[in-house]
Amino acid sequence: MVSSARCLAALRLLLALLPAAAAAAAPPPPLAAEHLSVQQLPPRSPHWVWVFDEAFANEIDMRVHLYDGDNYRRLGQIDAGYYSSFNLSPDAATTVVATTYFARGSRGARTDLVEFTDNRTLEVRGEIVLPPKRVQTLPTLFNVAYSSDARLLYVSYVTPAASFGVLDPANRTVLGEIDTAGCVLVIPSGPNRVSSLCESGRLLTVTLDAAGHETGRAMSDPFFDADRDPVFVQGIRTVKGYAFLSFLGQVHEIDFSGEQPRIGAPWSLLAAPEQGVWRPGAQQVGAVHRGLGRLYVPMHKGGEGTHKDGGTEIWVYDLASHQRLARWPMQTRGLTHIIALEVSQDEAPLLFAATDTAQLAVIDARSGRLRHVEQHFGQTPWQILVP
Amino acid sequence: MRSLDRLFEQSARQLARRTSRRSLIGTLGGLLTGAALLPLLPIDRGSRAHAAEPAARAAGPESCQYWKYCAIDGYLCSCCGGSATACPPGTAASPIAWVGTCHNPADGRDYMVSYNDCCGKTTCGTCDCTRAEREKPMYRPSRNNDLNWCMANADANYHCTVSVIVGVAEK
Repeated sequence: MVSSARCLAALRLLLALLPAAAAAAAPPPPLAAEHLSVQQLPPRSPHWVWVFDEAFANEIDMRVHLYDGDNYRRLGQIDAGYYSSFNLSPDAATTVVATTYFARGSRGARTDLVEFTDNRTLEVRGEIVLPPKRVQTLPTLFNVAYSSDARLLYVSYVTPAASFGVLDPANRTVLGEIDTAGCVLVIPSGPNRVSSLCESGRLLTVTLDAAGHETGRAMSDPFFDADRDPVFVQGIRTVKGYAFLSFLGQVHEIDFSGEQPRIGAPWSLLAAPEQGVWRPGAQQVGAVHRGLGRLYVPMHKGGEGTHKDGGTEIWVYDLASHQRLARWPMQTRGLTHIIALEVSQDEAPLLFAATDTAQLAVIDARSGRLRHVEQHFGQTPWQILVP
Repeated sequence: MRSLDRLFEQSARQLARRTSRRSLIGTLGGLLTGAALLPLLPIDRGSRAHAAEPAARAAGPESCQYWKYCAIDGYLCSCCGGSATACPPGTAASPIAWVGTCHNPADGRDYMVSYNDCCGKTTCGTCDCTRAEREKPMYRPSRNNDLNWCMANADANYHCTVSVIVGVAEK
């Protein structure tokens, strides 16, 4: 009798719940129709970075990724073709890519050119076809570079004879070619000067007129020894010019603000016990926060031949006092060897570090605190730029 | 085009020699374009390659640790249908090259090695090998492995790299 009463109660409860259950089983209202669109970029943030993927496994398909270091999102992509180089215009409104295309994809007639991408839309807005001489090498700031007023654009040529092209980006024309007597790359300064690095350890500086023609040239005193301690060609932008690190850890700061470069006395990244043990190494060997006067360098333990090995630590220096402020190990942050490095230039700076396993790390540039890691950020992210 | 490029190259190297304090290696590099098979080339062996010798001794041509690869940067042609000294079928060897000086643990000698790129197909993508013993930046091109040495080929697309012994590196 007791069990019959319980069954009756359960039946009543079930009947009471049936309308609710029926309502729950009803399909939801249909999704609204969607509209196909093309995403528009938001206003530029100081925490946006341009990350060059050298695509080492398929080099006809290099690219530049635009990445937001606050929201940890890719914002878009700029295609970069074969064995290419890129840079930003002084106002950061334009990305210039110097590249090569083959008529049949991987083969056929070679066309060298620079392409201009509007950084507000990531659309290619124009190009200038070059003679087939553009340097095909790994990324530096000096493979393609603007004059300070953006009126001229310089492109390094190596056939392997060394020279550079002078271009008029506004009128989309090649103005001419300047022989550099075996010195390489285009280090821009002011509105009309280009310096190149020479095997002799000197800088060649060519001065141009308004039409892009040479009006003079001068050689500096030697400041490094290519046999004993060569400098990396991946110069680092400073307040008045660029710093060049040597394989053994010397810092050569060069002031390019005058008519001729002024080469400062070198100083060492290494204390005496560290010399011969630690050294800088990467594809992009350092970054400077110009407001804070801080230099960030990927460092590793290694000897001769390890200058392309990435850093197991990032060492931080005060440029004014040459004092080391910090050593930040990367393994404890879950990162492999640091192969490229750049720092945003705002007052809450972010350090962006790419690794040899294609990680892209976002690090607080004041404290070293790891904020975020992107895994599989392309194949070989070997250069990072900020405006 | 190749003869024109060679003319430019010769001109550049002459200019480089005029502006260089230490032009010995550069001069040798200039002589080596096209992996010219000069029997003996004098070169300083004071800082010979420092590959891990037991590993180097055991490694074969499909290993990045193979002794001849001490200054290579690219894909090993021995993994791409060619060999350590032969470009894969359908590619073309670069007439210009960079050089390295590598220590052969089997006979205790240092050898000058010409690294020629094989060109005309897209990147092989197998057996990536980057070593940079005594490799120099681009202002010393004859010792630089960042440049695309297919640059002067009719088809400048890079595929892989071979390592050709040029001769014993003398003291």
